[in-house]
Amino acid sequence: MSALSSNGGETLRIEQIAKSFGGLTVFQDISFEIKPGALLGVIGPNGAGKTTMINTISGRLHLSSGRAMLGNTRVDGQSVFDNAKRGLVRSFQQTANFSGYTVEDNLTSALRFSGQDRSSLSRLTPLLDRFGLIEHWNRNAEILPYGLQKMLGLTMALATKPRMLLLDEPAAGLEKSERTNVDIYVQYARDEIGCGVMLVEHDMDLIKRLCREVIVLDGGRLIAQGEPADVLNRKDVIDAYLGGADDEDEHAQHS
Amino acid sequence: MKELPASERAPFFGTYEKVTLGLLLLAFAVPFLTRNPQILSQSNLILIAATAALGVYIMLRMDLMSFAVPAFMAVGGYTVAMLGIRSGVTDVFALAAAAFLVSALCAVPLGWMILRLKGVYFVLVTFVLTEICQLLLFEAGPLTGGSNGLVGMPSVTVFGYEMYDNSHVLMITAGLAFVGFLIAAVLTRALRYEFAAIEKNDVLAESLGLACWKYKALAFSVAAGVSGLAGFALVNMLLTAHPTSFSPLSSVNYITYAIVGGKGSILGTLIGAAILVSATEFFALRGELSPGLYGLLIIVMTLVAPGGIMGLAENFFRRFGKRDSKALETKVAVQSGSGHS
Amino acid sequence: MEGLIATGLIGISLGSQYALLALGFTLIFGILGVVNFAHGGFYVMGGYVAYFCAAIIGLPYPLAVLVAVASTAALGWLFEVFILERVINDHQATLMVTMGFYLVIATAILVIFGAESPQFDFPLQGVWRAGAIYIPYANMVVLGVCLAAIVGVYWLVYRTNVGRSMRAMAEDRPVASALGMRTKMLFPFAFSLATGLAGLTGALVTPILALAPHVGDPVLAFSFLTVILGGLGSVSGATLAAFLVGLIEAYAAVYFGGSKGALILFVLVLVILVLRPQGLLGKEARRA
Repeated sequence: MSALSSNGGETLRIEQIAKSFGGLTVFQDISFEIKPGALLGVIGPNGAGKTTMINTISGRLHLSSGRAMLGNTRVDGQSVFDNAKRGLVRSFQQTANFSGYTVEDNLTSALRFSGQDRSSLSRLTPLLDRFGLIEHWNRNAEILPYGLQKMLGLTMALATKPRMLLLDEPAAGLEKSERTNVDIYVQYARDEIGCGVMLVEHDMDLIKRLCREVIVLDGGRLIAQGEPADVLNRKDVIDAYLGGADDEDEHAQHS
Repeated sequence: MKELPASERAPFFGTYEKVTLGLLLLAFAVPFLTRNPQILSQSNLILIAATAALGVYIMLRMDLMSFAVPAFMAVGGYTVAMLGIRSGVTDVFALAAAAFLVSALCAVPLGWMILRLKGVYFVLVTFVLTEICQLLLFEAGPLTGGSNGLVGMPSVTVFGYEMYDNSHVLMITAGLAFVGFLIAAVLTRALRYEFAAIEKNDVLAESLGLACWKYKALAFSVAAGVSGLAGFALVNMLLTAHPTSFSPLSSVNYITYAIVGGKGSILGTLIGAAILVSATEFFALRGELSPGLYGLLIIVMTLVAPGGIMGLAENFFRRFGKRDSKALETKVAVQSGSGHS
Repeated sequence: MEGLIATGLIGISLGSQYALLALGFTLIFGILGVVNFAHGGFYVMGGYVAYFCAAIIGLPYPLAVLVAVASTAALGWLFEVFILERVINDHQATLMVTMGFYLVIATAILVIFGAESPQFDFPLQGVWRAGAIYIPYANMVVLGVCLAAIVGVYWLVYRTNVGRSMRAMAEDRPVASALGMRTKMLFPFAFSLATGLAGLTGALVTPILALAPHVGDPVLAFSFLTVILGGLGSVSGATLAAFLVGLIEAYAAVYFGGSKGALILFVLVLVILVLRPQGLLGKEARRA
């Protein structure tokens, strides 16, 4: 095991959270827990409320009911930056970096805003090298290819020394060859930094490779929880993705 | 295993800041070089305009367009006038401190109210704020002298020495402008990462742990304080504090100076004010045409050169200067403090 | 009591004028996402075009008004297509070009017509009385036309396909564009509709109130007020706010005098903005 700082991670406890906008219920009655170093996959068809869930946990939106705890501190309803300072950090689906800034300045910003010093960055050197970011150290982030920008955004989140990482579709838009970077990234977060990771994803291969536990969201409800192999074979989960394909089609596929 | 590339220590003040402050120091020399009242008056107007435009520039660093500069100029100007006329305070340092601090303090509750608003609403509300301010100045007779204003301000003194004639007034203005620009330069350089992040992607900045509201509030207060200094300079030049000096439409002028000069750098604000105020003098030969020509200039500049004059200059040098194409990708962003041109 | 009602009538008449201006401003704000700093310019231009046609050329007043509307709408169309469209996605830039355009219009009027206030009277003089309640005929006519125009705009916005497209554009531009609504036609149309309304108001109101190159200045502030009060995306909110503003201004002018009315209004707006940021009827939150 590597030298874990006393930081390590904190447990994220989600207790029966719900969110509605006016008359529209986005999700309800969601509960789960992620311990430090653990990894929870979150899957479900589009529109199931996964990104909204991240938005409410991180503090960007208010919960309608329920609560989210990081360790002993309540995080829902708190401001995003307070939560980030406490170690609850999220990534964004689209590329999220400060365009017009170099790779170095982007990472420096991440350090500055989270109150970390440069040693936090030096520890990430193997990752930065592996992702190809050191090669482009003084390049403007805007001109980098999509995959690199994505990894830059993810690494910035890591530079804040998070205690709980909420990843919103990190592999989205990445080439097949680039996706293993996400594996390396997640492993680093769990082992070297010691934080827990919530991984919202559509890439099932990735989920199956990395996660020992997943939850499935459909129509705003948590409909399944367990190991990927089991969960992905459940009829209600398959139906959720296919929108309720009838039995004939299913049989036709299996035979 | 690779090492992190060593980070270049960027100097505290970038090139633009040094040039700007240098030019302002040169302004002190003008009264020694000439007694021509035209030139003295022009220089005075340019410096006041530049300091006021600075209030706009500071907020533009975070992509917020503020029409509130005349309101805070009024706070600074009237404070100074009241202290001078009613309490006999003439020491320039005391007055400058008052002009800055009173304006900055007024900005705190106002900032709390309006900084939460989305960009466009922020603009509208700052405009309304300046309207309110001018109406208050007209209506609050006993305090502000109403439509007569506050007349008969005593000359400012520096260490007891009275600064009474045109050259002296210019020196005071130059001093105030220098202080204003120094404060703004320190603020924007020391916090360049924070400001840039708020301008480019404040959602991302927050999610990394940046309390954006604190920096917005700080910038708003400092911008107000700097505007207060500009108000002091204006009132000192006229020896009168009058509501018409702080009209909402004058905010259009200050915004124009900052944007035409180039909102990406502090030097742009100074250049913009210098060029446009001089141009107004030139256009003033056909007096009534000047707002219209201004308007045309604004439209043309916005369509053709959104980075302002500084943006044009930067592009020019980039194309014909000795830099290779790498310059486009390297630290230009941080050096000049600009997010985009 | 009669004084109260009489003032109220003036207030409503003022309100209808503000409503026309507010409608135009809100349309542009809501649909194009543009703060039209030049709005007051179209107002004063409408006044001067009508004056030119009626007093100088000698056209009958209603025709002069129509010419005013047509010319402001046409100018608005040209401005949108040739200038505004180029910078429409940049908030600051749209602000700058509309601001610049206002200066150009105001100066052009100053140069062509001079700084003096020309003699421009409403063709209908006299006052309608019922006991101690009174309202000038001119105000009644203007009120009538304004109300008709308001109804017309509502019909257009809520009952026609064009209106539906405009509302969709205001709700969610990317989606509306993706659905194939032609912004190329819609934007100039919406803009020129708004500037035409401003021109109409100018042509009707300046003979009653005042005609001078600078009368466009306060229009901007009042337009801002109504949009802030009424809430973004709410045509009805803007209308309601406009009548509210008209009433407050009328009562304040009569019972307080001076510009205290304007002061009260502005402070009220600030307060509302803090307590109820979505405005009276707005849906979209204004918080960053």
